Amino acid sequence: MYLPDFEYYAPDSIAEACQLLSQLGEKAKVLAGGTDLMIKMKNEVLAPEVVVSVKNLDQLKKIEYVAGKGVSVGALCTHNDLVKCDVLKEKYSSVSNAARQMANNQVRNRGTIGGNISNAVPSADLPPIFIALNATVKLVGTKGERTVAMEDLFTGPGKTVLAQDELIAEVIIPDQKMTGSNYIKFGLRKSGALAVVGVAVAVQVENNVIKDARVALGAVAATPVRAKKAEDFLKGKTVSDEVLAEAGVIASGECKPISDIRASAEYRTDLVRIFTKRALRKAIDEGHV
Amino acid sequence: MKQDYSYVGHSVDRNDSYTKTTGRAQYTADLKFPGMLYGKLIRSTIAHGRIKSIDTSEAEKLNGVKAIITAKDVPSMKWGLSPARFDENIFCIEKVRYNGDKIGAVCAVDEETVYKALKLIKVEYEELPAVLTWQDAAKEGAPQIFEEYPGNLNTEIHHHFGDVDAALKDAYYVRTDKFQGQRTYHAFIENHCSTAYWDGDRAFLYSSCQSVHYIQYHLCRVLGMKMGNLTVRQTNVGAGFGGKLDPSGLDFAAVILSKITGQPVKMFYDHAETFLNGRGRHPMTMELTTGVDKNGKILAHKFDCVLEGGAYTGLGIASSYYAGSLLGVLYLIDNYKFDCRRYVTNLPPCGAQRGHGQPQPRFAFEHHIDLVGEAIGVDPIDMRLINARKGNSITTAGYEVKSYNLLGANKMARDASGWKEKRGKMGVGRGIGVGNGGFVTGAGFCQYRTDYPHSVGMVKVFDDGTKAYVYSNAVDIGQGSDTVLMQMAAEAMGYPYERCQMVTGDTDLSTLDFGAYASRQTLMAGWAVKRAGAEVKKKVLAKACEMLKASGRIKEGFGYLDGPLTPEDLDCVEGIVFVKQEPAVKLTFEEVARKYFVDHGVLLGRGWYHPGKLGGNHKGAAVGTSPAYSSATQVAEVKVDMETGQIECVDTWDVHDSGTIINPKLFHGQVHGAFYMGVGETIWEEVLFDKKTGKLLNGNFAEYRLPTALDMPPVESLTLDDSYEPNGPYGLKEVGEGATTPTMGAVANAIYDAMGVSMTDLPITYEKVWRALRDKKASGK
Ligand SMILES: Cc1cc2nc3c(=O)[nH]c(=O)nc-3n(C[C@H](O)[C@H](O)[C@H](O)COP(=O)(O)OP(=O)(O)OC[C@H]3O[C@@H](n4cnc5c(N)ncnc54)[C@H](O)[C@@H]3O)c2cc1C
Repeated sequence: MYLPDFEYYAPDSIAEACQLLSQLGEKAKVLAGGTDLMIKMKNEVLAPEVVVSVKNLDQLKKIEYVAGKGVSVGALCTHNDLVKCDVLKEKYSSVSNAARQMANNQVRNRGTIGGNISNAVPSADLPPIFIALNATVKLVGTKGERTVAMEDLFTGPGKTVLAQDELIAEVIIPDQKMTGSNYIKFGLRKSGALAVVGVAVAVQVENNVIKDARVALGAVAATPVRAKKAEDFLKGKTVSDEVLAEAGVIASGECKPISDIRASAEYRTDLVRIFTKRALRKAIDEGHV
Repeated sequence: MKQDYSYVGHSVDRNDSYTKTTGRAQYTADLKFPGMLYGKLIRSTIAHGRIKSIDTSEAEKLNGVKAIITAKDVPSMKWGLSPARFDENIFCIEKVRYNGDKIGAVCAVDEETVYKALKLIKVEYEELPAVLTWQDAAKEGAPQIFEEYPGNLNTEIHHHFGDVDAALKDAYYVRTDKFQGQRTYHAFIENHCSTAYWDGDRAFLYSSCQSVHYIQYHLCRVLGMKMGNLTVRQTNVGAGFGGKLDPSGLDFAAVILSKITGQPVKMFYDHAETFLNGRGRHPMTMELTTGVDKNGKILAHKFDCVLEGGAYTGLGIASSYYAGSLLGVLYLIDNYKFDCRRYVTNLPPCGAQRGHGQPQPRFAFEHHIDLVGEAIGVDPIDMRLINARKGNSITTAGYEVKSYNLLGANKMARDASGWKEKRGKMGVGRGIGVGNGGFVTGAGFCQYRTDYPHSVGMVKVFDDGTKAYVYSNAVDIGQGSDTVLMQMAAEAMGYPYERCQMVTGDTDLSTLDFGAYASRQTLMAGWAVKRAGAEVKKKVLAKACEMLKASGRIKEGFGYLDGPLTPEDLDCVEGIVFVKQEPAVKLTFEEVARKYFVDHGVLLGRGWYHPGKLGGNHKGAAVGTSPAYSSATQVAEVKVDMETGQIECVDTWDVHDSGTIINPKLFHGQVHGAFYMGVGETIWEEVLFDKKTGKLLNGNFAEYRLPTALDMPPVESLTLDDSYEPNGPYGLKEVGEGATTPTMGAVANAIYDAMGVSMTDLPITYEKVWRALRDKKASGK
């Protein structure tokens, strides 16, 4: 457990950071809170020759509501920034609540949402709720900006569509027709446990009829996935325990979990059933919680 | 029997609270010496094999590497903690026996170089098939891990008291249940660290350990040194829980490498390496059979237990005996049979962990007895009341039990928890359960054969009387032993606690104690320092008597006194010496002590303790016999999510029959910590290995899941007012380990009450609960 040798840069602008990443190519790694990267380096999973810290990019540390665009969350916001943010608490406390269930307080003080997303582990807690809320991600590279839907960002465990010179700049949660959303994380203890299953849902319910629904699952496939059959099933249905239970059953048929030291595939599959049902109930009854 | 004491029974502040809470307390890893080198062990990367070659040449060329040693450079004498089973070498000779076994050591000018050097060392093996479970180890024709243990059988125990088969025949109800325990890890926060240097022919070793004496003894034996030439010292210790009783490879390597290099050498583990050092709880496979009469009275009990030992014996023989030796202390069982086998396997060695050998059998028995009670319609607490031992009795195995109030503990826990209103009435998904436990208060014998006292204490009063130094090599591993020892010494001396200071953690300077294990120190070192304090007091009273007479303040034969003033007419409390019949006539301890120093030189008190001959004559009686036994009852309340299997422990009560409580705050801290460990082992904790390679899979605190503060229920820790142990100083008994032993049973029984399915396989993970509920549903019951 010893950090390998590396060179360290802390550029002052996004442009400079992208420039460096472009020049250094594979040799470089971006460092945000370091709660994923440092562990990988200590465990010799990664040995970047250069570490490019983004800590000076203050413009990526804001959370704000921009009319017509939605809530913009800067990539360098920490999990605890999300937990404490008034804008989110008011509009989407489901997002702050997802952040509150992550890791432990020390890690929530350091870990950033950009890091959580770029790291792209299937069990990451933020992507499912962002996907349920149809969020997009703004990427900035040497060739300019582009916006990608959160659900299209991930291509495999640890893999995203980001190019070598690209940074995640912000996550945008668009204005919603969805009337409620919720994320349930199931870990094997109350704090400091990675999700064995994460289920995020967003629903649009009018007069007790489900107009629209999005269900996103974490830790049960190579990337966060949507349970589209469950979503289709829900659309147009009148809310009832049976309908929500059936949606759970359908969603559990849509995931492809693996067995590992934390949980078996069988268990995860059934947990998807249970938590889809429960998350839907919460979102329907309580709004964005 | 109880008196008003100045310090005993009071929650005085710990002596180390200030330095620890401000981060100033030094641990072994904080020590730095000029020219100090850093070292690490070379570890095996396969589970079982012969070492064909070790090529250190590339590493030796690396700038900054100072020495690399392997078996050929060190004595080949075997060591261990069980005299009949010395089977461990400093470094593997010829064979490696687990993935992580000790092959050698490297030291270099800094940590970074050590890590780089380790990567350059190439070990070639001839791989041998590995056995990773006791079931595989016990198979015909299984690969042999040690020549000396045919069939990989490390030890076997067969105890039979009374006539079990006859008694079972007569029983009203007989039941057999099977249980499985898991391998757990101590999870102390401070990893092992050892730093050594030499001065001429004398070596000095700082070791983060639980016994400076045993480390000194074992090292000297293997290294062929005189004990007077090896000083073992220690700083603060960040806990041990049984994992720091064996010398670690670091201790040997630090002493040898510092000799070779002529420089101080610091050897250290990271958390993963501490997991590999092992010595945690044995997984036990247990089968229990009990016969009872109509009322639930136990007529006979048969306990069959297999321990999966890992690669070496370590303390494993004691663990095996402890698995069966204490049941008869808790419950009155006239007919008892205990059959036990311990196998070696190609995994890190198992050893002692809080409650040593006992918690898993306690879990099994406490759950089993509930199932027996259920079958005959007897409430769990009634089952325990019917069978609980009473004080002043002798066990079937011949152990003498003085104070023992398990009955009182059960009743108090029952009433405090609202048992009668709750048990079986809380609805699906909620439950309450009870478990009993307890422990020895110190072992009756030293780990090796000796006629030494078990603890020696000394008090030295500073020249002018303004300080009292309390000497004992009892080890404060965080449990607060320094504090309680000073409380008892201060009480015995009649001197202010606040002005006492420990002299400890140094085999040169301080006095012998066997160390922190078997919940022994408060009783054994307590006796030693209490007696030392009493001797000081005696000297002070004699001198004060002389001074008072000379002062002319005493008019002999005048009114309140019958004859000449004698020391017996005086007492000393909190630093004031006074005439008992006229307390206004007084002197300060300080002035008396100063006068003593002027007249006689240093004011010293000495004390020692040996438990003497204790009960039990059968083979293995040494493990379980003790001057005093604690008992305890815990009640736990849980919620079980009947869909997901998630368990939440929501409330708990503990009643510990612990004799006089020397320091209530520290006592409750022990109970709280013990429950924490117990509930962790019940629901969350398990060390995992790859099933093919024996490679450690979760040597970190992300995947070895200890409960967090949020998972921990409140613990209401209660005590029995009339508990008093005649064999303990001030009437005390243990709390440190005993309070871990009822927990698994209590929590498991609560889970059973909540979900209606018996969970017999530790840890009772959410997934296992989910599976059990699903299977129950499928079977339509
Ligand atoms: C004890 C512990 C518990 C944890 N528990 C959880 C948990 O419960 N749930 C969970 O989801 N995660 C958990 N994590 C993982 C981790 O904390 C989070 O994923 C965190 O959000 C990572 O953010 P970071 O800023 O620390 O990332 P870093 O470690 O700095 O970076 C992670 C990766 O992202 C890249 N990167 C970082 N920022 C950017 C950017 N702006 N643009 C492009 N690439 C970038 C880095 O190059 C690196 O590859 C835990 C970690 C620890 C140590």
